[in-house]
Amino acid sequence: MTSYLTRRLSRVALVGSAAVAAMLLSACGNGLASGGGEKSDDGPIVLGMLTPLSGSSSAIGPYMKNGAQLAVDEINGTGGVNGRKLELKVEDEACDAKSATAGANKLVTAGVKISVGGYCSSATLPTLPIFEKAGVPMLIPAANSNELVAQHKKNVFLINGTGAQQSDAALKFMKKVGATKVALMDDNTSYSKDIADTTAKLLAGSPALAGRESVTAGESDYSANVNAILKGQPDFIYWTGYYQEGGLIIRQLRQAGYKGNIMVADGSVDQKLVDIAGPEAAAGVFATMTQTPDTIQGADKWIADYKSKFGAAPGPYSTQAYDAVRVAAEAVKQAGSTDGDAVIKALEGIDGFQLFSGPLKFTPDHTLSSGGFQILVVENGKIVLKDTLQ
Amino acid sequence: MTQLLWNGLFVGSFYALVALGYTMVYGIIRLLNFAHGDLYMLGAFVGFGVLSVAGGLATGLGFVALLIVMVISMLVTGTAGLLLERVAYRPLRGAPRLSVLITAVGASFALEYGMRLVAGPNPEVYPVRLAGDPVNLLGARITIQQASLILIAILLMAGLQWLVMGTETGRAMRAISQDPTAALYMGINVDAVIARTFFIGSALAGAAGVMAGGYYGKIDFLMGFIIGLKAFTAAVIGGIGNIKGAMLGGLTLGLLESIGTAWIGGQWRDVFAFSFLIIFLTLRPTGILGERVTERV
Repeated sequence: MTSYLTRRLSRVALVGSAAVAAMLLSACGNGLASGGGEKSDDGPIVLGMLTPLSGSSSAIGPYMKNGAQLAVDEINGTGGVNGRKLELKVEDEACDAKSATAGANKLVTAGVKISVGGYCSSATLPTLPIFEKAGVPMLIPAANSNELVAQHKKNVFLINGTGAQQSDAALKFMKKVGATKVALMDDNTSYSKDIADTTAKLLAGSPALAGRESVTAGESDYSANVNAILKGQPDFIYWTGYYQEGGLIIRQLRQAGYKGNIMVADGSVDQKLVDIAGPEAAAGVFATMTQTPDTIQGADKWIADYKSKFGAAPGPYSTQAYDAVRVAAEAVKQAGSTDGDAVIKALEGIDGFQLFSGPLKFTPDHTLSSGGFQILVVENGKIVLKDTLQ
Repeated sequence: MTQLLWNGLFVGSFYALVALGYTMVYGIIRLLNFAHGDLYMLGAFVGFGVLSVAGGLATGLGFVALLIVMVISMLVTGTAGLLLERVAYRPLRGAPRLSVLITAVGASFALEYGMRLVAGPNPEVYPVRLAGDPVNLLGARITIQQASLILIAILLMAGLQWLVMGTETGRAMRAISQDPTAALYMGINVDAVIARTFFIGSALAGAAGVMAGGYYGKIDFLMGFIIGLKAFTAAVIGGIGNIKGAMLGGLTLGLLESIGTAWIGGQWRDVFAFSFLIIFLTLRPTGILGERVTERV
């Protein structure tokens, strides 16, 4: 996601790069100071997580951080891994490439053995070579752009379903509700365009593609875009961007008199989407989403544990972050060491390890063999499960 | 087509309101106040704060509540504009133009990230929303609320026009814009008039902020950035320094965007709109209504 911050910094590139340089410098400073003690083999195994704690997606950060922390505490409670405790280090990704690279450098110099973070795809992308160079395997719990897969880095594993899998699920549901003319709207960011592109490729024959539109994120008035998209007279509109613009677009589509179905992708699944659109306009809006704690059957005990520990309910990507830590621990256990190559080998060998999304087996591309996407719907102002697509 | 024109006019009236502040300040002291878009953001947040405090009382009153809140917000943003001028711009009045420009960018960042400290990074949703059933007028869907927002914008602009052309203060403003030193010799309190200009321009931006919050519903601490750029473009298209030009430029830009999106697609809209900025700057730097060649920064 190109955050507002990115755009802002480019406006005064000089000020921006100076600030980043300062951040990088301080990152190195901290890293060197704390990196010394991590070498010993009986100290804690440090897991690093990049997640948005500020910026437009900052609501997600605590969900991911707490989910991972819960897994760390559970594993430490049963004696840790290979006799060593786990330790979680969190850095702010801010959904912004500059913050993310600074954070990744900070984690690497702090002696992180495995990365279990990554939310915004465009912020995660530039961190791949940093972790690769340091020999750190990455288990990415949320970011899922096909661009991440297309890098073919051997240290990168995706715990979330990919953009292509999300498109498949979207198409499956469009056919199920009998859509005939589908229009796609994206916000021109890596994640959003990716899903729109793969979905557009699938839309041939019935349902057919009835128009594509890219909007500029960060504006308030999308009536011109809404007008343009309605010219194709679609009966199904799929928005693949984030919730802030999504909420406005849903509202403005309804104000323009559009009565057909609207569906949003997982970046828009947030209660704020309903607030911004208003409960009346948002009613009946569908969403493609991987499993959230609310929609997983039998997760009641897990949710209760989470609530009693953090005093707040889990949210999107809490379970994926939790699973990422568990998979990391399992791989270290099987590898018998924290050596990057050994852990990668162990990860590739994992078969049938139980995750929230089902048994784990990585494909040769290091993605999940099944995405686990399902369909949610807005009902009475809340986002609830509609269809598991099983 | 009617719908396109209507959409363009509606967005354009927001641009025009914000562009007025740019153009007034530029017209008088030749300063591009880059923090102007952030005063619009400040206005939206002040409105949000007042509405939240008022709670159920405001929700019951609906549109009237928004009007009252708009006036409060105009006073607050106007005062913020005064403060900004006093702290950031007045000490630099004799300094090279580039220093003032950099201060303006700094003031913009300070306002944005100051608001982030106060209100947090997440977007907020206005508790009072303007939504109504649209009526069909010549093939365009128009809501009463949209029409009343445009009406408010027109009234504010008419008020400003009267203030500048028909009052003593207005005459002083025009005198300073022609020659500040001569105006000083004629016994005009230049500092006071400039401060008043900042107050009025900022208040108009604050009004636009509350209107946007009430109509679109979502506000966040960076919302002033894009509209600031757009309003600046509108001011240049209309002829920077010229008040009627800012109104005309705002409406023109709104229409250009609306029609551009329909013709060549949304991903090209900003390219289309900002190309006009370049075209105007190269071919007609004085804008549609500009009277004289102004120095560009």
